[in-house]
Amino acid sequence: MAKRVGVRKSEGTKEPIFAGYKPLASTYDEYFAEAGKVQPHTGTIVQQLENLGRDEIRERMRLAHASFLEGGITFSVYSDARGSERVFPFDPLPRVIDPVEWKMVDQGLKQRVEALNSFLGDIYGRQKILKDKKIPAAIVLGSPVYRKEVKGIRPRKGNYIYVAGIDLIRDQQGTFRVLEDNVRVPSGVSYVLENRIVMKKTFPRLFDRHNVAPVEEYPNRLRRAVTSAVPGRGTNLVVLTPGVFNSAYFEHSFLARRMGCDLVVIKKRVYAKTTGGLQPVDCIYRRIDDDFIDPLAFRKDSMLGVPGLVEAYARGNVVLANGIGNGVADDKAVYPFVPDIIRYYLGEEPILEQVPTYICERKADRKYTVENIEKLVVKAVNEAGGYGMLVGPKANKRQRSAFIRKVNADPRNYIAQPLVELSASPTWMPRGPAPRRLDLRPFVLRGNDSWVLPGGLTRVAMVRGSYIVNSSQGGGSKDTWVLERKKS
Amino acid sequence: MIVSRVAENAFWLARYLERVASMSRMMYVNVNFVLDVNLEGVPRWMPMVMAVDAEKEFLARTPEDKRDDAETVQQFLCWDRDHPNSIASDLYFARENARTIRETISLEMWESLNGLSLWFNSADGRKLYQRERFEFYQRLRDQCVMFQGFVLETMLRSEAYHFMRLGTSLERAVQTARMLDLKHHALGSAARTAEWPREIAQWQAILRTCSAIEPYFKVAQGELSGPRVVEFLLFEKKFPHSVIRSLEQARKFLKQVRTRGSSTDRSFKALEDLHRQLDAMSMEDVVQRGLHKALMWIDSAIAGICAAVQEEYFLAPPQVRRHRKSPQRKLSRTV
Repeated sequence: MAKRVGVRKSEGTKEPIFAGYKPLASTYDEYFAEAGKVQPHTGTIVQQLENLGRDEIRERMRLAHASFLEGGITFSVYSDARGSERVFPFDPLPRVIDPVEWKMVDQGLKQRVEALNSFLGDIYGRQKILKDKKIPAAIVLGSPVYRKEVKGIRPRKGNYIYVAGIDLIRDQQGTFRVLEDNVRVPSGVSYVLENRIVMKKTFPRLFDRHNVAPVEEYPNRLRRAVTSAVPGRGTNLVVLTPGVFNSAYFEHSFLARRMGCDLVVIKKRVYAKTTGGLQPVDCIYRRIDDDFIDPLAFRKDSMLGVPGLVEAYARGNVVLANGIGNGVADDKAVYPFVPDIIRYYLGEEPILEQVPTYICERKADRKYTVENIEKLVVKAVNEAGGYGMLVGPKANKRQRSAFIRKVNADPRNYIAQPLVELSASPTWMPRGPAPRRLDLRPFVLRGNDSWVLPGGLTRVAMVRGSYIVNSSQGGGSKDTWVLERKKS
Repeated sequence: MIVSRVAENAFWLARYLERVASMSRMMYVNVNFVLDVNLEGVPRWMPMVMAVDAEKEFLARTPEDKRDDAETVQQFLCWDRDHPNSIASDLYFARENARTIRETISLEMWESLNGLSLWFNSADGRKLYQRERFEFYQRLRDQCVMFQGFVLETMLRSEAYHFMRLGTSLERAVQTARMLDLKHHALGSAARTAEWPREIAQWQAILRTCSAIEPYFKVAQGELSGPRVVEFLLFEKKFPHSVIRSLEQARKFLKQVRTRGSSTDRSFKALEDLHRQLDAMSMEDVVQRGLHKALMWIDSAIAGICAAVQEEYFLAPPQVRRHRKSPQRKLSRTV
């Protein structure tokens, strides 16, 4: 069947797409320095989108949606009894990042993750940083995700972090800042890869005039990183997932496909149950939280875990990626100390900025938080997905006082940060592009060396004026382009 | 070697899809040939329910005067997700099994099955069902065959492939035996020497249900009789859906995955046994035993083989089983 794609001629009556686009006030816009004036690296994409026209973009969006649905690239909704699946909203206007800027981000991320890994080795080892009083022991050892069960256990090659997802935002000036670290089981990478596939399928010509850094090598790199601590070839690697009803199962299966499972521990060694009997397992890329990974060590009611796994890990008989107890490094109450952690272990100045943070456990900080709550974002330290937080400027009086009560009742559990005006990017709405706020989750792999996936997952708040980008709260995503220098 | 769970999902994915294919052919034929074989006093629709083993659920929820009603039975066998033997349930479980081992099957297989499932559950699917029933069943069947094509064309010849083909072959043998038994469900077991003309029409419908009408006439050279049809569907080695051919295929694939030197080899022995006995059997033996009884015997022998496969390849060895928790939702059946 012949389809008219890309041959539609402009009839002269076509209204320019970006003519009415107004960047948000006091917010960095990814495409436009000001209304009508593009950023230095987005001129080409804006021109190309104008050439395509509204109808063509809408048609291709429809194709992209169908492509996600037909590919089964969906997430499940837990609350739905039939386990129905939804497509993660995809925005066709790519987020474009300048190569020079990215180089700095790339180095900053490697530095940060390296320092966090050293921190974990120290905390579960001799705890020198605590003795040197660079960070209060109470905050670290009092963290609900500090695992005393693995104190004294040194994983192979001292690797705790194999995969990290570091959430970045851009502030009003356009400076990238770290908002949150995630060194437990960061998710979202499969959407980066699938978004790129769909983008190439539906908007192939946009790639013609851009030199976009490829993302396709991620699965290979992941395998290499995760198996790096095991000598020799033919390493048996398994992916441990909570199962098909987990919202991110698609991703687990995706990753397993590019690099499943009943595991058992016998005499402190891990085996997979196969059709040919038990086979030894060297590495586990796990997507289950510490709490559920081993009912003998942690939650006894875990149906997902492998009894005895922690002991096998302690003996060095199996590599876990990521390691156990990593949560203490991305605890939001530890986050304010990360610049000091970088200086302490690496003797370097941090390359990436972060967001000023008030630790409610400290009296003065708590006082400040309570008195200025209408200016602050208050977050529970170990929650994710946009839950357990209050956006002060957006909340009403009752919500604020309710939150103040929570903070006073359990101060260790809360931090506060000034509301950062997250950068925005043109995002396709029914009537055309409108500014929507976004963040970026790049993925860092640490094996024998460190590697950062160019770009990462750009999540976008689809609701006007919203600062919450999480998919569980109606966020969508965009393909993220890191431009490389021109080939010729 | 593959992870047992993957093997199990592959096996059941294939079985569920084979059921969808078989049921859609059965319904297609029954709708299509209603004029040829609409007989006074002979139930037309209820036997379908019996053939897929859904009698209990069906009787429990259907008033007596609706039990042979075309729309009631089709609604029940096509769309009813509240029992496990409808096309909707089979398709759902097939897709869930495929989704679970998405990393093992090929992209083409996944997209074709996912596409089929999306279409079946869409307004378009429902509309076609209401407007063009023949075309609806035909499309279902065609999509199943297309999936098989993708299996052959795109799937790595890994162990998972062998388990899939094993599942397809065993399920096909079961389905052919059950289709042959349709006549028993419709007319009962009263032995007759001479065939009624209307029985001839019924045999024809059974042949069509097994995609066998043309192959049959090529082999039987024009003659159409009950015993010849039975003989063809049970024993014709050249016909892809015959019981003997399906068992031969199953044997071939089970041989590929067989764990040599393992202490038990029950599934393979049971399969060889059934195959050998059936191969040595003649039509006279079948007549003597009674067709329904012979078919029941085949059905339960295959159930036994499947149980042994389950035990030997999918369940964990004893030291593992101690820790094993029941799955959140069952994607497979025991038979």
